[in-house]
Amino acid sequence: MKKTYCVAGHKFSVVMPDNDVAWNEMYSYEPFDCEDPSGCLFTAELLDVMPDTSGKQMVKVSCEGPDMPRIELYECNDEWLMEIAPVMEAPVRVFLLTDKAFTKARFRVLGSMHFSLGTVLMLMYAFATARKNTLLMHASVTMKDGKGYVFLGKSGTGKSTHSQLWINNIEGCSLLNDDNPVMRVMDDGEVRVFGSPWSGKTPCYHNVDVPVGAIVNLHQAKKNAIRRLSLVEAYAAMYVSFSGYRFIKEMADGLHATNEKVVSSVPCFALDCLPNAEAAWLCHKTVAQ
Amino acid sequence: MKIKKGYRLRSLGKEYILVAEGLEASDASQMVSLNETAAFLWKAVEDKEFDAAMLTQILLDEYDVARETAEKDVAMLLQTWKEAHLIEE
Repeated sequence: MKKTYCVAGHKFSVVMPDNDVAWNEMYSYEPFDCEDPSGCLFTAELLDVMPDTSGKQMVKVSCEGPDMPRIELYECNDEWLMEIAPVMEAPVRVFLLTDKAFTKARFRVLGSMHFSLGTVLMLMYAFATARKNTLLMHASVTMKDGKGYVFLGKSGTGKSTHSQLWINNIEGCSLLNDDNPVMRVMDDGEVRVFGSPWSGKTPCYHNVDVPVGAIVNLHQAKKNAIRRLSLVEAYAAMYVSFSGYRFIKEMADGLHATNEKVVSSVPCFALDCLPNAEAAWLCHKTVAQ
Repeated sequence: MKIKKGYRLRSLGKEYILVAEGLEASDASQMVSLNETAAFLWKAVEDKEFDAAMLTQILLDEYDVARETAEKDVAMLLQTWKEAHLIEE
């Protein structure tokens, strides 16, 4: 069985056996169901046997933190092979093979189906859209008065907490996505943020999009303070908040172009904050103008 | 000395940044901002062996500046690049 989904205007298809229990793990994708499979950026097919990976050549290993997935990238018969472990110190649980244009992926799962599907589809989505004015972000996004406020910060900084502080202390706020929203520069130059099937530990899978009101980079501090970021500071804050294989020149060029457009048109701020209501009020008062 | 491999110079509006995009770069999140003159010098010696005298000469050829000022600017720039681990001996 093949199903197609549309996230931030980009379509992809998932192919798995009809009655496979893996379909039960696709609940977060249901709001993104798409009837028309034409124009898919990529297809990801679940394999029931191990693919032949003999002759693989190591390219690089990446892991963004002890609790983040470890991804070993290999070149394998003119394709990319990614061997993925759920955390830094764990055995490989997912094998992902894709052509170098990121249009056709096959994956073999040994561990948790939920983790594997999420990781495979997020990676493929990020790579396939990197040259299409699109960024798959690591951020929490709260909506207020028809605009999205994008909160950035390292893991554990309190992005989700800050979103909750807005929702609990400011009238008319709601959560768009708590972990992996999609930002996109539209053809007319407008920067919009979209919900996605990926939202970390918070079940929040809204197929909704709004213009970006502001981007706020969070830091934990002993007192609340906010300031506007320069262009270079904003670029740097964004740079570490989306991923991609930047050694692949076309991908790096695409991500750079999108990032430059975003930080040139959206106001960006740095917020030193405590996890309290005052932080949310200060932030809202400053950025929502 | 030589500039380490793995960096790419990118323009951002009127500014310049060095990003560690290549596989050779040890810290992929490293980013260094450069002014126009520093970016010009970076481009000039990106793939070659160079020394302070060579950078100074490039500056003197391009800009209307006293030798003493150029030498001082180059010394400061090299110090910054060394501290940011951008060059190897």
